[in-house]
Amino acid sequence: MFQFFYLKKYYFVICFFIILVHFSFSGCSNSKPVDHTKKDQVLTLNLGGDPSNFNPVLSTDSVSSTIESHVFNGLLRVNDELELEVDLAESYSILDNGLRYRFKLKQNVLWHDGAPFTAHDVKYTFDIILNPKTNTVRRSNFVIGGKPLQFNVIDTHTIDVVLPELFSPVLIRLSTAIIPKHILENEDINKTSFNRHPIGTGPFRFVNYESGQFVKLSRNNSYFGDKPKLENILYKIIPDNNTAVMSFEKGELDAVSIPPKEKSRFQNHQNMTMYSYTPLSYTYMGFNLKHRFFKHLRIRQAIAHAINKKALLNGVLKGQGKVAHIPSSPVLWSYPQNEQFLTYSYDPDKAMELLEQEGFVKNADGIYEKNGRPFEFLLMTNKGNKEREKTAKIIQQFLRKVGIDMSIRIMEWSSFLKIVNSLEDPKPYDAVILGWGLGIDPDSYSIWHSSQYPKGFNFIGYNNLEVDQLLIDGRREMDQDQRKKIYHRLYSNIAGDVPYIFLFFPEANIGIYNYVRGLSKPGPAGLFNVIEQVYIE
Amino acid sequence: MFFLKRFLGIIPMVLGVTFVAFVLMQLAPGDPLDTFVDPSISIQDMEQIRDNLGLNQPLIVQYGKWVVSVFQGNLGYSYKTGKPVLTAILERLPATLLLSTSALILILLIAVPLGLYSGYRFQTFTDTVITILSFIGMAMPTFWVGLMLILVFSIQFGLFPTSGFLDPDLDRAPIFLQGVNIIWHMTLPLIATVFGDLAGLIRYNRFEVIGVLKQDYILAARSRGISEKKILFKHAFKNACLPLVTILGLSLPSLISGSFIIEYIFSWPGMGQLGIESVFSRDYPILMGMVMIASTLILFGNLLADISYGLVDPKIRTEE
Repeated sequence: MFQFFYLKKYYFVICFFIILVHFSFSGCSNSKPVDHTKKDQVLTLNLGGDPSNFNPVLSTDSVSSTIESHVFNGLLRVNDELELEVDLAESYSILDNGLRYRFKLKQNVLWHDGAPFTAHDVKYTFDIILNPKTNTVRRSNFVIGGKPLQFNVIDTHTIDVVLPELFSPVLIRLSTAIIPKHILENEDINKTSFNRHPIGTGPFRFVNYESGQFVKLSRNNSYFGDKPKLENILYKIIPDNNTAVMSFEKGELDAVSIPPKEKSRFQNHQNMTMYSYTPLSYTYMGFNLKHRFFKHLRIRQAIAHAINKKALLNGVLKGQGKVAHIPSSPVLWSYPQNEQFLTYSYDPDKAMELLEQEGFVKNADGIYEKNGRPFEFLLMTNKGNKEREKTAKIIQQFLRKVGIDMSIRIMEWSSFLKIVNSLEDPKPYDAVILGWGLGIDPDSYSIWHSSQYPKGFNFIGYNNLEVDQLLIDGRREMDQDQRKKIYHRLYSNIAGDVPYIFLFFPEANIGIYNYVRGLSKPGPAGLFNVIEQVYIE
Repeated sequence: MFFLKRFLGIIPMVLGVTFVAFVLMQLAPGDPLDTFVDPSISIQDMEQIRDNLGLNQPLIVQYGKWVVSVFQGNLGYSYKTGKPVLTAILERLPATLLLSTSALILILLIAVPLGLYSGYRFQTFTDTVITILSFIGMAMPTFWVGLMLILVFSIQFGLFPTSGFLDPDLDRAPIFLQGVNIIWHMTLPLIATVFGDLAGLIRYNRFEVIGVLKQDYILAARSRGISEKKILFKHAFKNACLPLVTILGLSLPSLISGSFIIEYIFSWPGMGQLGIESVFSRDYPILMGMVMIASTLILFGNLLADISYGLVDPKIRTEE
């Protein structure tokens, strides 16, 4: 060690050499302007993190499902219009008044290893999900009223699904990706190497995955549908979105999600186009309905009138999003397009009036109090979500204006969930800011039904008998028009009760270079929804 | 004999460290299933998985099972990915080792001479400049430096890629080409790492040199007419370096653990990212694997150091 430092003359040489080496490498690949006329049929995108695994039965993260959506198919798929259409199924029919679904499967489907796809693969997939030994969170999707669905193979390309009782959201659940029986039947599904080297039926086959670096997919030339135009898809793993945006600018990525603050910078870029759409997730402020203040409807209404949602949206997302009023999105069929439902305008005077009706009086500090107890409460949200933190701060100011003293606590996710998921009744919190993703089916039993409290996602303790019944009716009704009516009544009940203050749907902005063609209609299904049609010009 | 005794002594120490780590992990709120908040996921399914993973068993039983499986040569499987823990760690270790050792070498090559010079020319213009630069270096947050490096050298001048480790096209290329490509990708994260850690070490080294130069034996050496060069490099430097070696020894674990911030910004596929992700998703098997490998390496490092002391210093040997 000491001897080394005596080599004084040499370390400068070594330093110099290292620097020289670096620059000589960079020299050969020197700053080419971004090549906007790409010829290779290779699409380069980014993933925000490492996929957990590539088994659609097990994985729960969106990163994994992005890859799985190219490698696997389900019986049905969701199109641009957010409707279900056949995928591995040739057709399906509903028998026994909705208690039996018969799927005819496509004949010409091959797994990526060349083996034919049959009804046995379908049965295997759903049976393995229902097997308690499988570490999957999808099991209860296929258990209705405590009884599992049954999957009966009729012949190699026909399968029957038998329901224990009527359940209208079943089709969307049956669109789960199908995995190959012949590869997995003698493996431990939780640990098999298949989870890292998936074999599917999809338009792209899996090539390789380097942890923390990239996932490579290549065209499946024997795909049963339209032959994909792209030869390869390369997903680079770039956890930091700032870095991803810079990689996109440099031309290392063909598309990227652009954060609200960067939108203006990319708006008038000549080589790229920015697509905006509203995904199916909303941010809300939820009340603990067992709290001594929040159990009163008028107080919740007062808070709803005290918050200017439009200003909030401008402050948090620079106006890039949509204000929310009910737990549904205008892009969904179940949304009440032409009907009125209760909304709460920004009206601080009305808010104060409501509080005074409830018996509150303003004290010397300008804070309302009742029986000597000032109106104070604690709002919690999770760390790491800047949008929610900002939302909390802005709401704090709105409430201070009408005379409510709200404090904020930002907590690490698991610690936060421990409080929200606590089995105590009442739960130890006052109010939270959180978000939910909506499914394309309006069924939201797990969020609003009174049986889902204290154990379940109805952690606010919402309890409305009519809502409970509507949630059950919505699951049993098969006719879409009838279901629409049911859910409209559900939403107007919820809007009237103000269990949450629905805040906003953040907008997604995707920048894509113009040489990428064949995109689908911008919407919650994404721009690459029909990946077979995407190509590089 | 000495070696064997010390070697066997490592086993209870590793057991102790891992047990404490295991208990601490379980004391933190939440478990791997708690991280799911999705209305389409039912509580019953989570309970079932918790049961399958053995998370409902008493702590001591869970730890016992882990120890038994480790002695059978199996570090377990990640809860999140189902991947063998050893594979998950070995996939990430090379990138971290490459970056951290290169950074350490560069830091030593720069910090030691600068600290020495700054300390020798105490309170001169050069010293002030170096001091000010060090403080600026210490004050700049690493993530900011990283993003600025990307902005300037990658976007503006187009000299380096923005992020990554190896071009995906080269994953089957000859090893030499791959090496060149990796070094090219490593340049910016390397500069950012060196930048962040350099200043502290310069300051430390400077301080030591100033202290040593005030000692009587330096004065004595000067009065004997020994050349300044010899005093500085032979007499002062050696002593000023001793605490530096201790600091380096202490930084050994960080060679393996990696820096999350640097890895996150530059998409560097190292241990830092794996560690943080595992902490957030409460992936106990991965965390236990990392704790075990790190503690074993550190204990072995200490053992080697002790043995080499014994070789250098006969006093230690005779005491034994």
